[in-house]
This record gives sequence, C-alpha cells and structure tokens, in this order.
Amino acid sequence: MRVGLLIIGAAALAAVVGCGGQRAEFKSREDLSDLIPEAQAHVRQVLDGDDEHVGHFGSPLNSIAWERLPVRFHGAVGVFAENAGDGSGALTKLKVTLAELNRPIEPGQELVWVSGKYVGQPSPHVVSYDSKTNTVEIKPAVSVPPDAGDRFAVAPGAVLKHGRMLYAEHCQHCHGVTGDGGGPTAKYLNPKPRDYRLGKFKFTSTATPARARREDLARIIEDGIPGTYMPSFKLLEPEESQAIVEYVRWLAMRGEIEFKLVQSLKNDYSIEAVESTIESARKADEGLSNSAAREQIIAEMQEYLAGDWLEEFNDDTKFQSEQWRNAEQPDAVVLPKVARVPDTPESRARGRKLYLGQRAKCATCHGESGLGDGSQTLAVQKNPMTNEDYDTPGLFDDWGNPLKPRNLTRGIYRGGRRPVDLYRRIHVGIKGTPMPAFGTVLKDEEIWDLVNYVTHVPFEARERRPGDGGAESGADAPKVAASKSGPSLQVAN
Amino acid sequence: MKRFWCLFFMFWPITAVIVCWLAPGWNWWFPQGPAGDGLASSPLGRRIDDLFYMILVITSITFVGTQVALGYVLFTGARRGDQPADAEEGEKAWYTHGSHNLEVMWSIVPAGILLFIALYQMDVWAEYRVRNEFPKQVQSGPLAEVTARQFEWRIRYPGLDEEGNPLPLMAEPQPTDLYTVNDLHLPSGKPVMINLRSADVQHSFFLPELRVKQDAVPGLVIPVWFETKKSANYALLCAELCGWGHYKMKARLVTQPEEEWRGWLRDLHAEQTDDGVPEQAE
Ligand code: HEC
Ligand code: HEC
Ligand SMILES: [Cu+2]
Repeated sequence: MRVGLLIIGAAALAAVVGCGGQRAEFKSREDLSDLIPEAQAHVRQVLDGDDEHVGHFGSPLNSIAWERLPVRFHGAVGVFAENAGDGSGALTKLKVTLAELNRPIEPGQELVWVSGKYVGQPSPHVVSYDSKTNTVEIKPAVSVPPDAGDRFAVAPGAVLKHGRMLYAEHCQHCHGVTGDGGGPTAKYLNPKPRDYRLGKFKFTSTATPARARREDLARIIEDGIPGTYMPSFKLLEPEESQAIVEYVRWLAMRGEIEFKLVQSLKNDYSIEAVESTIESARKADEGLSNSAAREQIIAEMQEYLAGDWLEEFNDDTKFQSEQWRNAEQPDAVVLPKVARVPDTPESRARGRKLYLGQRAKCATCHGESGLGDGSQTLAVQKNPMTNEDYDTPGLFDDWGNPLKPRNLTRGIYRGGRRPVDLYRRIHVGIKGTPMPAFGTVLKDEEIWDLVNYVTHVPFEARERRPGDGGAESGADAPKVAASKSGPSLQVAN
Repeated sequence: MKRFWCLFFMFWPITAVIVCWLAPGWNWWFPQGPAGDGLASSPLGRRIDDLFYMILVITSITFVGTQVALGYVLFTGARRGDQPADAEEGEKAWYTHGSHNLEVMWSIVPAGILLFIALYQMDVWAEYRVRNEFPKQVQSGPLAEVTARQFEWRIRYPGLDEEGNPLPLMAEPQPTDLYTVNDLHLPSGKPVMINLRSADVQHSFFLPELRVKQDAVPGLVIPVWFETKKSANYALLCAELCGWGHYKMKARLVTQPEEEWRGWLRDLHAEQTDDGVPEQAE
C-alpha cells in the first residue's frame, strides 16, 4: 500500500506543477513588458507581493485571501457576537454569527482572527462547534474576550486550496495555471479554452453587462459545453464543484485587476512614453542628464503610486467586487416575463420571419438556412475594443479569436438547450462575442417565436436532406448491430 | 550454479501463483460492485465470470502442471554432471528426438479443450451479442442512445407522451428527445437495451461491474443490453484509448426501479422544457 501512497503523492505534485513544463506560478500579461521595469515591479508587487510586501493574490502555491474580493476562501467566516462563558477568567466558548459556512466546522480546524485585537496572534483551534447555539469552543482560551464584531475565519483558505488542487487536476492543462486559456493542450483546440482574465463568460443567466453567477459557472462545469472540448465534470461532488468555481472566479478577478493595473500605468510609464518624456524634458533643459531625467520620472511615479493611483486602485477594485457581488443578487437573473409561446407552426413562421427580417438580422450572421454562413462572415469587422478593422474578414470574439456564427442546423447549443437557455442567449446575447443582445429590440413573445423557430431548424434541415427518411440510417449496418426502432414517426408537438 | 537456476525458474511461477491467490484480498481482482462482494452485478455478468473462472481453472492446472514438469526436469538435470567422466553410471543426461505419441497427445488434448470452451461459451456469447438471442424484454427497442465523443458520453432519451410515459426511441433525434451528459439512467431489475454510437473516433462502452464492454464504432449503431438486479450507481468508463483525454471519459450508470426511472425521466422533461417562468400557484 505504501507504493500506492507514493504514487498518489507524486501525481498530486505533478498536478500542481502541471504538465508540459508549466510552472506553478502566475504568468504575467504580455503587455506588462511594455512598461518600464519599475512599473513592472509595482504591478508584480501588488499582485504577487515581494520580499517586503504581501501581494493581493500571491502565487498558486502560496495564495493570499484578499478580503475585498467576493470569493469564498475559507471553511467558514463569522464575527464574534458575545461572550458565552460565565464571563470570568479565560474564555473558551465563543458565541458567533456566521457570515459564510462553506465547509462543516470540525474539531482541530484553525480559527484565525482577521480583525480586532487578536490579529496576528497565534491562532487557536476549534474544539467543538454547536450549530444550534452558534457556539465555537476553542483551545487555547482567550484571556480577554474579543470585541463584538471581530471577524474570524475557520479553516482559512480551505476552499481555495481545495479548488486549486482540483483545478490543477482537471482544468489547468487547458485553461492554464493563470487561467489565461494557455495550458499545454490549448493549442490543439478550437474554440480555445476560455481566458478568464477578461472576467467575461459567454453563457450566463445575467444581463448583458453583468458578471457571471456562481451557478452559471457550476452549470458549465457540470454539463460541459457541447460542441467544444470543454468536457462535462458531472461526477464532481457539489463541494468540489463549489471549490473550483471559487478558484475560477478568483483567477478571473486576478486577471481583471492585472489588466487594469497595466492600463493604469501604460500611458505614462511604458518604455516608449518614458523615453519621449525624457526627450522632451531634455529639450527643455539642456543640462539635464539622461539618468537625472529618468530618476525624476521614477520619483514622480512613486509619488503617484502612493497617492492618486492608490485611491483609484481602491475604487476600481471595490467597484469590480461590487459587480461580482451584484451578479449574485436574485434579481440579477434574467427571466422571461411571459411563458414560452406554444411551439406551433404559426409561431415558428413568425420566428422565421423575424430571423430573416431587418429588425433581428439573424440571417446576416447565421445564414438563411442557419448554416452559420451569413454575409457578415465575409465582411471585415471592427474590433469593438480598439475600433480598428480586423486584418481578416469574419467575426472575432473579445479574446481576439476568430469565430463563426453557430450552425443552427446541428441542434447543438453550447449554453444549454432548455428553452430558458435559448431565451437568454437571444435576450442577453453571448457575452464577449458578436452574437448581440436582443432584449431591448424584441419583445418576449418575439424572442419565444425565435426560440421555437431556431430549435426547429435542425429538423427542417433534416426533412430537406434528399433520400433521408430517418429510419434507413442504420440499415446498412450489419445484422447484429442493426437498430430495430422502427420507422421514424414525426412526433406531434 | 545449476541449483541456482533451478530455484530461480521455480521462484517465479510460485510467486505468480501466490500473488494470484492473494490478489482478491488486495482488491486487485474484479471491482467490488455496489453489493461489495466482487461478484458481477448482472446475471449475464455472472455467467461471463463463470466462464472466466472455468478458463482460469483450466489454465491454472495446465500452468502448475507444466511448471512442476519443468522443475522436475531442471532438478534431475542438475543432479547429473556435465562430463561423462564425473557422471556415475546411469546418471548421464540423455538425449531424445521426441516422442510421437506424446506429441499427438499434447496436440489433441488442448485442441479438445479449446473446442469444448468454444462450444460451451456459445450461448453466453450469443445472448450477449446476437440481436435475435437478446432477452424478449429488450426486443421492443432501446431506452436510450449513448453517443461517445471525445471526451464524454452524450445520452439521448426518448421524450414523453401526454400521459408522461416514455415514447419509443427513434433512430434519428426528435424534437421531444431529452438529453444528459455522462449520466445514464435506466430501470433496474429487468434487461434494458441502449444503442451505442460514436461521434468521432473509436471508443469502448465499459461497465466493469456488469462485465459489459462494447466498442463504439463510428458509423455503426450497436445495441447493447444488460440487466442490474440492484438499483445503484455503477461506473461507466471508456476502454479504448481514444485520444489524450481518454481518461476523462468517466461517467455513471444509475439504475433505479422502473417507476422511479419514469419519475426521473419526467423530472428531466420538466427541466428541459423549463421556460424560466415560475409556475403560477393555483
Ligand atoms: C479539454 C480542455 C478543457 C478542459 C480540461 C477544461 N476546459 Fe473549460 N473550456 C474549454 C474550452 C475549449 C472552452 C471554451 C468553449 C467556448 O468558447 O464555447 C471552455 C470554457 C470554459 C468556461 C467558460 C464558460 C463560459 O460561459 O464562458 C469555464 C468557466 C470553464 N471552461 C471552466 C472549466 C473548469 C472549471 C474546468 C476544470 C474542471 C475546465 N474548464 C476544464 C476547454 C476545457
Ligand atoms: C453579428 C452576428 C450575429 C447575429 C446578428 C446573430 N448571431 Fe447568433 N451567434 C453569433 C455568433 C458569433 C455565435 C456563436 C458565439 C459563441 O458561442 O462563441 C452565435 C450563436 C447563436 C446561438 C447558439 C447559442 C448556443 O447556446 O450555442 C443561437 C441559438 C443564436 N446565435 C441565435 C441567433 C438569433 C435567433 C439571432 C437573431 C435574433 C442571432 N443569433 C443573431 C452571431 C450572431
Ligand atoms: Cu473514449
């Protein structure tokens, strides 16, 4: 049995380190290297930390739980409510109010104070937890009771660590250590694995500008994305899926913040910008040496970083966290206001008309017969981020990958095949792709007509296929293998 | 030195026999299955196991017999000298050009055994693989279509009629069909049949606890039937190296009593026709 353990240990290590020579560290964005070294160092310090500073994210093997982020890092989080002991002497029983209970609180888990007078003190361990009275018994006892409202975390980082292990095992070879969609298998895949760093996910239940909900990501992990290489992880336990979702969100938030950091320094502190600033400074003052001019710029930068920049950074990250939080609100879910219009030939005909019409213009992308070959696939498009034309004709997503409008005759729906999924695809669009949101253009009834039409396209296409009666498809198979399910009958609906 | 080789060649077969003997205790044998007894979870699987054990007994007897004979020859040979000079009278190695009678014997006996196995397993094979020999209950048609795809199992179920009973599964997808991925639900306690297909390369539909293994071949629709006595979760794996993500093709087979299965299908139907509008309370 010892051999089995050894192998498991080695495999787990390999999983963390990753295959294909991936290292267990976060890769920086490529455009980081456009900045001057001092600015680069600052970005790294903010994200990963350095010898003197704790970063906001750390490294994959030494991650930091930054409280500002709406990520469920810990086994449980709560605040001290009041003294539950007899009030005299050392206190072992703490009455608490839990804000998050992600994992059961069990004896032996660490309890870390994250605010109040015990921050940074050696942390006690849980002896028992009574969920009825919300009392945690700890050891060693605290001599002076904490103040009401002091926050603590039980099993610190347990969820994130679990998520990291599972992510390394199941996802990393495609989505990459950093979540940049650059794992070793990624280069063989089309479409590319998602780069989480834009903070954008395609198939969500939220409105167009809103973030993804936890349940959207969990659903993707459970069911996969049909028609792509994103596999289904149906057999994961709910706890495992939850941990991966938190890790993916954490990587997405890290990516977004990194992007903003680089953006915030790009204008003034890119290598190019600094060179031209030095040049103009030296033009103005003949006696100024190159290095003196540079030093002056660096000094200015440090001042900026300690002042306005920091304020902006705080505002930005708070705003970003708020957006992730908002997506979790119950009212963030997009739901149709009217029930699905009955799937009748009339409804489909109305849908077909909209599909071809000028208001929805579906056919300009998806093609008249739904093959995904509409006229827009041949036109040169504009990049919505830079407002410049793409080099090659056809559609692109926000990650810069070329993509085709879906071939609707195949009946494969990546975002799910429930009517409500298709309603949402048309209502809020597919985020990060040219597939537009029609929620403001079309009425709910019209969207349902379109859903009825779109879901019927594969069957229409089949009816048109010459010589295909449906039942014959298995006829040339050998006798043992012949399917005897009888003639295909068109089921009324 | 001769003694050494003698011992060396005897060590390995003895080790092999001991390891095989102990293997079930180390869980190196058949999967335990939901009953935890290591027996096949399907009646046909039991009969396949019986065949396996019968062959194991025959080969074990043969193996032990030939190894004992080998040991005997080595051992007696080792006692004899190399040189005629140091060989005592009658102890010299002897040479033979073979025995016609022996050769006839060890050709006919194994041939007879093989023929016996071939005939003996015929009805199990037929029941497992030949459509006309399938149990009557599955002749009415498959309950689901399982399509292997790099790297997952996509499953298509028939839809429901107005009363909520499953419709027959058509060869081609229907608008009413229901879908799951990596999650095959079927009734327990009776033979059930699925149609197996592949969307890309060759895969293999493997239910180790039921002893079912059937390749999924692109372009073919292959019926596979099995029966679980016990309602439980079983492993469904791919047993054909189908690409780099082969190991990801891990799914589950859930068998449940017929009524419960129908209920599950109705739940699936409700989920997949969900239009997101909350039911109005009546
Ligand atoms: C075989 C490669 C592969 C593996 C392994 C993989 N993915 Fe993906 N994933 C993809 C591809 C490809 C896409 C993009 C599909 C698309 O754009 O339609 C994707 C997309 C996603 C998305 C984006 C969904 C959306 O709405 O935009 C999420 C989230 C995701 N994967 C999470 C995971 C997680 C978590 C794991 C591990 C449990 C994982 N993936 C494993 C290939 C993979
Ligand atoms: C500007 C081009 C464009 C227009 C206009 C457009 N689509 Fe799309 N559509 C796309 C692209 C691109 C995708 C694929 C996005 C992806 O998954 O990466 C897509 C995907 C889809 C999907 C697949 C959803 C899924 O879950 O797989 C459906 C359904 C769809 N479109 C319906 C429509 C309908 C209906 C209309 C008109 C109301 C429409 N589209 C208009 C570009 C377009
Ligand atoms: Cu396979």
